[in-house]
Formats: sequence, structure tokens, C-alpha cells
Amino acid sequence: MFLSILQSEWFKLRKSKISAIILAAPILTFLMGLTMDGFEFIGDDEVNDWLLFFLFSNLTYSLLFLPLISGVFASLVCRYEHQAGGWKQLLTLPVTRGKVFMAKYTLLLLLVFVIQMLYVVAIFSVGTMKGYTDAFPMAIIWKSVFGGWVAAFPLVALQLWMSMIWKTFALPLAVNVFFTLPTILAVNSETYGPYYPWAQPFLMMYSVEESMDSVFYVPWDQVLLVVGGSFILFFFGGMIYFSRKAI
Amino acid sequence: MIGKLIMADFLKMKRKGFWFLAFLGPFGVIALQMVNYGVRKEYLLTQSEDDWGYYLLNVNSFTPLAIVLGIAIVTSAIASVENETNAWKQLLALPISKKTVFLSKFMVLAFLLLVSSALLSIFTLGYGMYLNFDQEIPYSDIIIFSFYPYFAALPILALQLWIATVSNNQGIPITTGILGTIITYSSASLPDWLIWKWPAVMLEWEEPIRIVMLGFGFGFLLFIVGMIDFVRRDVK
Amino acid sequence: MEYIVETKKLTKRFGREYAVEDLHLKIPKGEIYGFLGPNGAGKTTTIRMLLGLMKPTAGSATIFKKDVQKEKIDVLRKVGSLVENPSYYPHLTANENLEALRKILNVPKKRISEVLEIVRLTEVANKRVKGFSLGMKQRLGIAASLLHEPKLLILDEPTNGLDPSGIIEMRHLIKRLPTEYQMTVLISSHLLSEIDQMATCVGIISKGKLIFQDSIEAMRKLAKQKIVLKVNNHENAWRALLAKGIKAENNQDAIFLHEESDDGVAEAVQTLVAEGYAVYRVEEEKRSLEDIFLQMTSEGNLK
Repeated sequence: MFLSILQSEWFKLRKSKISAIILAAPILTFLMGLTMDGFEFIGDDEVNDWLLFFLFSNLTYSLLFLPLISGVFASLVCRYEHQAGGWKQLLTLPVTRGKVFMAKYTLLLLLVFVIQMLYVVAIFSVGTMKGYTDAFPMAIIWKSVFGGWVAAFPLVALQLWMSMIWKTFALPLAVNVFFTLPTILAVNSETYGPYYPWAQPFLMMYSVEESMDSVFYVPWDQVLLVVGGSFILFFFGGMIYFSRKAI
Repeated sequence: MIGKLIMADFLKMKRKGFWFLAFLGPFGVIALQMVNYGVRKEYLLTQSEDDWGYYLLNVNSFTPLAIVLGIAIVTSAIASVENETNAWKQLLALPISKKTVFLSKFMVLAFLLLVSSALLSIFTLGYGMYLNFDQEIPYSDIIIFSFYPYFAALPILALQLWIATVSNNQGIPITTGILGTIITYSSASLPDWLIWKWPAVMLEWEEPIRIVMLGFGFGFLLFIVGMIDFVRRDVK
Repeated sequence: MEYIVETKKLTKRFGREYAVEDLHLKIPKGEIYGFLGPNGAGKTTTIRMLLGLMKPTAGSATIFKKDVQKEKIDVLRKVGSLVENPSYYPHLTANENLEALRKILNVPKKRISEVLEIVRLTEVANKRVKGFSLGMKQRLGIAASLLHEPKLLILDEPTNGLDPSGIIEMRHLIKRLPTEYQMTVLISSHLLSEIDQMATCVGIISKGKLIFQDSIEAMRKLAKQKIVLKVNNHENAWRALLAKGIKAENNQDAIFLHEESDDGVAEAVQTLVAEGYAVYRVEEEKRSLEDIFLQMTSEGNLK
């Protein structure tokens, strides 16, 4: 039942120019990686070229791109319901609102996971084309990409909530921007940054550089407290809103 | 004719949050500095001899991003007003040329963003005075920092308006807006010809006024290209 | 005759599909022209080209003797329209919706209350359109199209989604327009009954082609009558008629006469009675316009 709703969601989304939007991130990463100068440390034994380029790309990717684009995905999975009375058609089918919400949310998480994977592909392509000879830091990259994905869970939930309220893409984006831009400031603060939900993808994807020994270190307290806490707030807020929404 | 269209467009913007967004943008940019200076004013004051200048630099680290994202938001929102019930067909069946319809939307948004820039200069000045730096107030710099990024962003406004008005799926213009923002944020390491770089680079140029010229020039060019395409297309 | 709308070889192609092909539309002044055809026949595409919303692939459309492509603005100044679903700005009130159009059309402010009066929306003038029923939105669309006192009104399926009383109201309103405001009206519909009750001229489109265009009377004449005879042993009776040179068709339980004149019918009946058949019934069966419409459009489909 849940799976069939999920499949139906994917079917509807497939026809929404989603592939162009999914590919936007890796293509931009790829092109920016190729045009950027000053990151050729080939031959320098001290620094892993892959890691240097990865961390540099992560800065914009995790700080701005990931939070902002997941908002676009959220608007996209609600777009066809807002058009021409899709909500009333969907919700008069024998499905519960909770499952519909879950299906849309699950689909969003899958989409974010896909762009995380494509991001790695883009990084790998650029490095290969530039001829990096150092060992590919698989463990760090995997941990970072997975961590970034988990950190995006609450952000995606909030954006889904906002996208269910408003028909336009513009207003959920405005909310997204309003919370995402302060991240640039928040990550400068060691005191407040760790508690800002929108800073979590960045902290997860960027903090690996501190010490190469603590590659597998995951700050569980922080994950549970901030990511978990904001997830509960946004996910259930959205779900309650949706279950009471007058269609 | 264009005057009447602009009045009609302003009327349609009622209750859609445009004016609130025009306020929120510059307010948010300054609010971030309120937090920044509120938390660590002492530290920030030690960073430079020129406290006003340093404060303006801090403000300016967010202005270009707010403008580029703001443009993506308002262009998509103004297109959505017509898209929602496909009012394009009603609007374009009126005795007006499609060119003026496109021009009117551009002018309305250009004005809205100009208001935002003006508000930014007022908020910058206001909070700057509250911070009470031991220095003369650099009025001309405040004006430059508040308005030059706006003029430099006119090509982006033209481009985003074009994409938003011809896209049925607003996910497309929003995505190009986000990609543009990424370019703006990473501008330091990217080539100069990228228009998204312009709102952020004026400080690196010897004559910042050149970026204003470029903004007007390319803004006009992209506006013409967008308008021609908008006119050429069949109305859905 | 003076034609308000005239199209020559009007054609629109989407990819390989012809949505409209070689259309020669002629709409005389002061008439209510019913533009009839099944869904997807090309009505809306034609209307969009008439309004300059779409460019024809080939051919031309002339309104008020002016080419729509070349003098679009001049043409549109005198044209009011409502295309498909009504367009409106849900966040604005009825008044504000009309004001947004009025500013552009440059007509006096009092027109707003006048047109709201015509479509009877005066009482909800200051309510947001978001909460309107479909019928009210449709009426608001009509009000918008009347704002600049057009000489040609183009209405695409104006009764779609209206309740019966709304449909009747709309019909009365449209019928008033030519006499009271000297308008010519083009109204499209997929329902023949609707056109039958309003239109004075008819054009029928099927698969993008115009398959009929004339006055409504001419169309009604096509609704030929048929004389049906019910007799005992109709098989033999039919042969008896044919033997006398009277053209007829043998149906399952009745005979259809080809001859419809009074004399012809009398002769046939007399023949049958003389031959000793029992004539149970002589009936006139009228083919409905609906039948003709269906027949025409299905023939169109065969092409």
C-alpha cells in the first residue's frame, strides 16, 4: 500500500523535468571544478588532492546548494497536486493522509540521496580529468556524503510542509532562503553553529578535515539533538498540518 | 500605455507578499549583522582600523546573495500570478502588445528591487549609527554598497524573468536561480564573464562604476533577447 | 454580406498533427455564430489564433477587415473574449480583478459596476474571487470580456461547468447582446442543443476541418423527415410497393418511404390497402439535429 503510493509519486514526478533539475548540481560542480584554478597540488605529498578539491566543493554545496535544492524538490512533489485539484483527487482515493505524506517525504529523501551520489560522481570525474594521482579517500567521502544526507532530513521535512501550504514555488523558497543564508554566519561560530539545523549539512560534510584520524567520528550528541530534534519538529509539524489541511 | 500596465501589475501584486519580501530582503541582510555585531562586536572592531568600511564589507557579504535569490523569488512569483489560472490568455487577448506586457513586468520588479536597495541603504545607515563607530559616516560608500549590486544584477533580473515567464514548471527558473547563487557565492574563483559574479565583484574592480555600466548594458541586451522569445511563443 | 470574422486556409500544426486545417470561417455581422464540434476538434486552437494568442502555421484570419497577425492590437481593441476555463486572480476581489483589466483597457471606472450588474455579481464585488463558485467565476469572466464594450465577443464553451439555471441565465445574456449592444458573438460548444438554442449561424468542425457552415435554419432542413409504415407481413408489403415503382426500404419491423410528399404517402397507403395488407400505423419520424451532428462528425472521422 505504502509502496504503491510511492511508486505513483515517482510516476507523477518523472514527467516533471526532474532529471534536468537533478543533474543541475553535479553538472555545475563538474564545470566549476574544471574552471577553478589554484587547486592543483599534484605532486605535493602532504595533501590529498581529492580531499582538497572535495572539501573546497563541499563549501558551496553543503552550505547553500543542498538546502536550497531540496526545497525545490519539495515544491516539485507538491506541484502537480496543487494544479487542477490534484489534492482532492489523491486524497479521495483509499489512502490515508499520513501515508501520502510519508510517501512524498520518502521520495524526497531518495532524491536527495541521488544528488548526493551524483555529487560524488562529479567530484570523481573532475579529479580523474585533472589527473589526481593520490588515493581516492573513499571512507571520508562516503561518510561525508551520507552525513550530509542525514543532516538534510529535517530541512526536507520543513520544505515539504511549506510546499503543502503554498501553491507557488516562490514562497517556500523565500522561507528556505531566510533560514539558509544565516548559515554562512552561523558556521563561523563554534558556540552557536552546531545548534543551527541549516548548518548541519555543512558541519557533516566539512568537519572531516579537523583530523584525519577521526575520519569515522560522528558527533552523535549533535546529530541526535539538533538533527533529530528539528526533524521531529518539522516532520510532525508538517504531518499534522497536512492531516488537518482543508482541501 | 506602459504606465497603465504597470499600474495593473502593481494591483495584481497585492496580498502576494511582494512588498513584504522587498522589506524582508534588506532587513534580513542587516539583521544578520545585528546578530554578528551583537555577538562579537569587540572582536569585529579589532579587525580593521576602518570600522565603517569593515561593517559595510560584512553587510556586503550577504547583499549579492540576497539579491540573486530575491530575483529568483520575485520573478517566479510574478509569473505564478499569471500562471495560476492561466491568466496569460486573458491578459494577452487585451489590446496591448506582448512586448509591453514583458516590459511592464520587468519595470515593476526593477522598481521593487530598487525599493529594496533604498531600504538597504537606510537600514545600513541606521544600524551603523546605532553601532556608534568613532568615525565620520561614509554616506557615499553606503549608497555605493546599497545600489551598485542592484544595478549589476539587472542582467540576472532580465534572464530570470525570461525563464520564469516562459516556463510552465517554476522548478526550472528556481533551479537556475539557485545555480546562479552558487556562482555568486563562489565568484572569487570564477571567470568575469559570468553575469552572476557581477553583483559580488565590484570591490575588486578599480572603477566600480564600470560594473553599473555593464549591468545596464547586458541587462538591456538580455531583456531584449528575453522579450523577443516571449513575443515569439504561442500563449498556452 | 458583411463578415466580421473571415479566415482563409487557417492552419495550425503541432509537430506532425494538424490541429486545424484549411479553415474558412465566415461570421456575418450581428449573428450569434455557434462553433460546434466534439472535444479536441480544434475549436480552442482556432479561437486562440483568432485572438492572436497563437500564430497560424499557414493561412490568415481577418477580423473587422483587419489581419489579426498584422494589426493585432487594433483588432483586439474591439474584441472581448473568454477562452476555456475562466482566468482570474484568486487573491483579488471581483472589483480588483476588473480594475486590473480596466487600467489596461482605459475605460471609465463606472464600466466595472455596469458589467458586474449585467452578470449580476454586484453583491459580491468586494469579495475575493478565491471563494467564488465556478458559475460566479465564469460570470466574472464574461464581465471582463464585456468591459470595453467589444463589437465581437468570443466565448469558448461559456456554459462549461454551470448548473442548469446558470446555463439558462448565460443563454439569455448572450441572446441579448446582438440586439442591445450591436455585438457579433462567436460561441463554441460541443453540445448541439446549446448552439441550437442560441445560435443563428452554425459552423461544425471535426478533426480540425470545417465540415458544415450555414444558417441554423439550413441545418435544421437537413433534419429530414422519414415516413414509417407499420403493416402486417412487411416483407411482402415492401415488395408490393417496389413492384408499383414506389421507393422504400425494408427495415426489421417497418417500411421507410423515401417519398415524403402528402400525395406520395397517400399513394403508398392506397397501394397497400388495395393489395390487402393491413396498415397499422403511418408515422413521421424526425431525425434530430443530434443525429445529424453525430453523423457529420463521424463521417469527418472516417476521412
